[in-house]
Amino acid sequence: MNDNYNYAFLDEGSKREIRRSILKAVAIPGYQVPFGSRELPIGRGWGTGGIQLTLSLIGPEDTLKVIDQGSDESVNAVNIKKFVKMCTDVPCTTRTQDATIIQTRHRIPEIPLRNDQILVLQVPIPEPLRIVEPKEEVTKKMHAEMDYAGIWLQLYESLVKYGKVTISSEYPCTVEDRYIMNPSPIPKFDNPKLHEAECLYLFGAGREKKIYAIPPHTKVVSLAFDDVPFERESFAGKKCRLCGSTDTYLDEIFDSATGERYYQCSDTSYCKEVRSR
Amino acid sequence: MKQLHTFDEVFDSQKTFRAILDAMANPGRRESAAEAAGKLYGGNPAMLAVAMTLLDNSVRFCCLGDSALAEQIHLLTHAPAAEAGEADYLFVADPAQIPEAVAAAKCGTLENPHLSATLVIADNGEGEAEAVLYGPGIAGRMRCPLSETAVGALRLRDARHDEYPEGIDLIFLSPDGSFFSIPRLVKREEA
Repeated sequence: MNDNYNYAFLDEGSKREIRRSILKAVAIPGYQVPFGSRELPIGRGWGTGGIQLTLSLIGPEDTLKVIDQGSDESVNAVNIKKFVKMCTDVPCTTRTQDATIIQTRHRIPEIPLRNDQILVLQVPIPEPLRIVEPKEEVTKKMHAEMDYAGIWLQLYESLVKYGKVTISSEYPCTVEDRYIMNPSPIPKFDNPKLHEAECLYLFGAGREKKIYAIPPHTKVVSLAFDDVPFERESFAGKKCRLCGSTDTYLDEIFDSATGERYYQCSDTSYCKEVRSR
Repeated sequence: MKQLHTFDEVFDSQKTFRAILDAMANPGRRESAAEAAGKLYGGNPAMLAVAMTLLDNSVRFCCLGDSALAEQIHLLTHAPAAEAGEADYLFVADPAQIPEAVAAAKCGTLENPHLSATLVIADNGEGEAEAVLYGPGIAGRMRCPLSETAVGALRLRDARHDEYPEGIDLIFLSPDGSFFSIPRLVKREEA
């Protein structure tokens, strides 16, 4: 551990503010609590919201796992792990079951999380209404008034134009019949995992300075019309080329030399585990 | 120099915060701040532990029913004291002051519901009652043994008829340092 830094890098005042915001976020599921996002030795937009949440949560009894697009070994995940380890000395793991805090970018692990685990998601654009309204002042008011006509219209337009809802990730959902929230750029494959989960989900947007949360056992419904139900990506007829799983989220890999397409699990630690069984 | 306490601002704060977070995310579940409270002093060390974890000079607090505690909180956290209606955190050390605290606590606005008060209420455990709790954080419905003090405070909260997302969040703290929380969305049915 590098003793030149405070434990978990942030000063205690910063942690306290983030902690107070986390508690409010948990009390008002889906509401984006503004917070004073701190400078970190990583550029904004590289997971600083998630890192600040992790640093404010973490203690000597924790075990950390960091994934990026499902992978434990990608650059973003490796560097975040190195950084947190440098200023806390907590053990890191790639096994989902062994972690108490899992920081993730763009995926929820395949293995269902337990109540004693916290999933920290990095969020680039927390505001689901940004796509229909550019001004923060206005979107805040829209949330206050539950004025969600714009986002429903966007869904409808997508149906009229393409015959289906074309949003693949960041698929908006309604939390406890009140707030519409952006589940971060997870594929819509992962959206159902937010509903009535066992674990606590925390979302941090460092550049946009927002924290929001979904507590365990919370109603989270992906937006859909009565006659056009919500649909996840379908991988019918495809399986992971490494572990053979057919029920996971698969990445498509294209070999330009042979023109062949392969599929493999995006959650690398799950894939490894299935192979070792 | 006289040492007032051995509460570690870094590690005891972190541990206490995680207990509060667990309690907020799982309403009705009992967590403990006893270890951190043991490192503090005064007549209400558990409340002081919660204050040390969450308060500093950027939030305001109001302490009802224990002027010594109010002084200790201000001394240790530098948080400025405020009227009950303006405080971000209300510490209710005397159950007789619960009606006043619950009535005055600010509930935020529809645009900024996070600008609402969190109440830390001393739960003396007197009287046995039961309530059925449900809402986010609770799987289905949970039958929960509560003290008359807690049920009384929840009745008063319900009587405010705050329009969600406006509302107040409650933490009930027993003298032994154990506590549970009832955030604004958790509803209560008489058992």
